[in-house]
Amino acid sequence: MDVLEISGKTVDEAVQKALSQLGVTRDQVRITIIHEGKAGGFLGLGAEEARIKVEPISPEKEKMGEILEVAKDTLETLVKLMDIEGTVVIDTYPDETGEQANAPIGFNIEGDDLGILIGRRGQTLASLQYIVRLITGHKTDTWVPIVIDAEGYKQRRIEALQSLAERMADNVKLKGTAFTLEPMPAYERRIIHMTLADDPSVFTESIGDGESRKVVIRPKQAGNGKPRTAPLHENNGRSNYSNGRPGGYNNNRSNYTRKPY
Amino acid sequence: MKDLVEYIAKSIVNQPDSVKVTEETDEQGIILKLQVADEDKGRVIGKQGRIAEAMRTLIRVKAAKKGTKATLEIL
Repeated sequence: MDVLEISGKTVDEAVQKALSQLGVTRDQVRITIIHEGKAGGFLGLGAEEARIKVEPISPEKEKMGEILEVAKDTLETLVKLMDIEGTVVIDTYPDETGEQANAPIGFNIEGDDLGILIGRRGQTLASLQYIVRLITGHKTDTWVPIVIDAEGYKQRRIEALQSLAERMADNVKLKGTAFTLEPMPAYERRIIHMTLADDPSVFTESIGDGESRKVVIRPKQAGNGKPRTAPLHENNGRSNYSNGRPGGYNNNRSNYTRKPY
Repeated sequence: MKDLVEYIAKSIVNQPDSVKVTEETDEQGIILKLQVADEDKGRVIGKQGRIAEAMRTLIRVKAAKKGTKATLEIL
């Protein structure tokens, strides 16, 4: 629905007209009076029509504004209660693929000494983000992804992981052997997977469980573009590859169930 | 220390009035004890203790800034 301008003898009449034309109720629109209108004198001479502007309120948009406010409040309160000197700024935050925002709400905390807030491998930041999501969700009765960054840490990390992924993929192509990266948390593994998803000569998968789960970059067989091993979605995908490699990287594969990343 | 736990707990439970936090200090550092209504216990602990763990992480940061240690117990 677009913005509608409508005239009537009085404001009330214009409003009624607009509502019936749009088929909405009064609380679904925002009405701005452009011109009050005048009743006019004898026989309606000199009367002026009232003119109003009617703007449909998008419920999601209104709700998002509220959520944004609650989330920002919550984050500011938490930062303050943690005795951290920092300023919360709203940030449009690209998601892991570098594209604009599957995460509609983003915050960056700016300050001088925020290393303590980021924590080892961003763990503290992750906890803070989790708590803010929880509180915001509880207060607004919705769940919205909220991303919290500090001093652009996540942004830098994404870039670092992307270039790491590309470097290691080049290596794999050159040598024709698989390469296993360090263990990483899920969202970091995801960045690696996404970065190399379109690469025709390698494919990636995650192995291991919990804290030690890590990404392996493997070469695809030359020519057919198919993985050298069995298709990705079979549980025995790595068996012929791992055979003859005693003490390899995936000893526990018997009880290992595949996760997307 | 108390205020941080209290704020988080009160913001995620259904009965904020039942949230009680006590603070003790011993040679190990600060011990925070969090008490909530029975029905809210799950809300402050979370699946596999995830919420409690996240609260502990934030408390640790605050304690570290003060040069001490802090533990959180949920009663």
